[in-house]
Amino acid sequence: MWKRIAIEFAAVGFAYGAKEVLRGVSFTVKGGQFVGIVGPNGAGKSTVLKLMDRLLSPSTGEVRIMGRDIAGYTLSELARLVALIPQEPEYFPFTVREMVRLGRTPYRRGFSPFSARDEEIVEQSMQEAGVLDLAERPVDQLSGGERQRVTLARALAQAAPILLLDEPTNHLDIEHQLHICRLLERKAAEGMTCVAVMHDLNLVAAYCHEVLVLDKGHLVAQGPPGDVLTPGLVQAVYNVRIPALRHPVTGRPVIAP
Amino acid sequence: MNTNRGVLRGVVLLSVLLVSVLVAAAVGSVSISPLNVGKMLLSRVPGISVADKSWTEAEELIILRVRLPRVLLAAVIGGGLSTAGVLFQGILRNPLADPYIIGVSSGASLGAASALLFFIPAGIGGYGALPLFAFAGAVGAVFLVYRLGLAHGRIQATNLILAGVAVGAFFTAVVSFMMVLRIQNLQEVYMWLMGSLSGRGWRQFNTAAPYVLAGSAAAVLFAPKLDVYLLGEDTAHSLGVDVQRLQKQVLAVGAFIAAACVAVSGVIGFVGLMVPHAVRMWVGAKHGRLTVYSFFAGAIFLLAADTLARTVLSPIELPVGIVTALTGGPFFIYLMRRG
Repeated sequence: MWKRIAIEFAAVGFAYGAKEVLRGVSFTVKGGQFVGIVGPNGAGKSTVLKLMDRLLSPSTGEVRIMGRDIAGYTLSELARLVALIPQEPEYFPFTVREMVRLGRTPYRRGFSPFSARDEEIVEQSMQEAGVLDLAERPVDQLSGGERQRVTLARALAQAAPILLLDEPTNHLDIEHQLHICRLLERKAAEGMTCVAVMHDLNLVAAYCHEVLVLDKGHLVAQGPPGDVLTPGLVQAVYNVRIPALRHPVTGRPVIAP
Repeated sequence: MNTNRGVLRGVVLLSVLLVSVLVAAAVGSVSISPLNVGKMLLSRVPGISVADKSWTEAEELIILRVRLPRVLLAAVIGGGLSTAGVLFQGILRNPLADPYIIGVSSGASLGAASALLFFIPAGIGGYGALPLFAFAGAVGAVFLVYRLGLAHGRIQATNLILAGVAVGAFFTAVVSFMMVLRIQNLQEVYMWLMGSLSGRGWRQFNTAAPYVLAGSAAAVLFAPKLDVYLLGEDTAHSLGVDVQRLQKQVLAVGAFIAAACVAVSGVIGFVGLMVPHAVRMWVGAKHGRLTVYSFFAGAIFLLAADTLARTVLSPIELPVGIVTALTGGPFFIYLMRRG
């Protein structure tokens, strides 16, 4: 089935001052896909993510969201299209529910009261992220895994068709890693476009529909993990040799020494 | 459920503030009953007549001309400093931030000290110009710190705080240097530097109150955005908040409130740091409640501190800044230890 293009990079370059971070990067991300961005440290992964939410503006080329130049949206229009979970979200002693409710900000003006629909989306987001039972707990008293789920609930409450995540599984135990990946997989199946910068290639191989590989500011490969994450590419990009392994059940690549 | 509790808290705070005003106005070298103070005020409201006027003309003069303006000024300054503290702690996301962190106090001190030591002859008629000097000094220093704290045209909290510390140290040294050169008005300068409401009346109240109240009202309007901002700059951006603009607006309003306070009261320390923390432990971190309650709690606190400052060693007046730190410090540590 043809799906609308959610994100498009057209020959995007980006430089911090004189330092070029991205060069001529072009790709498209279709709607309803779970896409992993991988690459060595300093490859430009986070920069790509920030460009997708206009935290940075491209030095050259154009970033398009839902077919339109990202520069043309107002901030609150963009907030209704793109939700972001940054690498190290900050937490204050809000309760879980208070924090998730902040996800409705793009739909509200000042002190306007919450509509029944707002409340419904907040509850549903907490349910989906598995934090409903924590609703009245202060966020700063939760474990790292629980916090990340709360952050995810907050982003889901934003009800944006595109969700960006910067290393969402970092520092988490395997239970929470899988919980988050499965949730993203499910949201993608429902039509949400999820783009995550990930370091764990096995999680990417197991869950992502597509993988974008960046190296030194260039896009070096894009495609399904089974085609892209070959021993040859891993050696070229990460400079390590690995055997060609496949998962005995799913047949997806397994990256192990 | 939360709304009810919020209303209850609001009613409690307002009643405590009202009673504090009456009691504080009643206390002093001439003691007048708080009830009479209340009646006196009521009798001044058009359309209300109080039957038994059991107080003297002199008492009425003391209350209406001397004590009431000072008591109200203390409340407004306390509220303003606490509100500014909420703004700075929020926008710099730093628990150590207070209303003076970006140069307000040192700039105001420089302005006030120049006024007291060089431009205005001792004691007489100085009060018209002193707040102006202090305010100009505060605004000038904030502008300087702001310019120094910008990195690539963006506000960086750490840079701003460091610039504030550096400019503050420099200006404080200049003030000390001036005090060494000129010793004739040292007493006044010293009182001013420690913060005092001694001798302040309707004139100072009328000078500062409109700005402080307007600024504090504006501060409440920032509350929803500041809540989002607490989640981090990138997250706030992603939720549709124009982070750069919010930072500029909040810094400007916070500095404006603080400058208006300092201009008439001198550098009253600790209120703007402590009250927001104490209130946060009480009502949580959401800025709507936090800002409003901090204003009232700060008003009550400074009112009480100033009443102590003028009565404890009567007829000698203590600078209220000493009282705020002496009483607030231990109380704050108690709150912290209790968690």
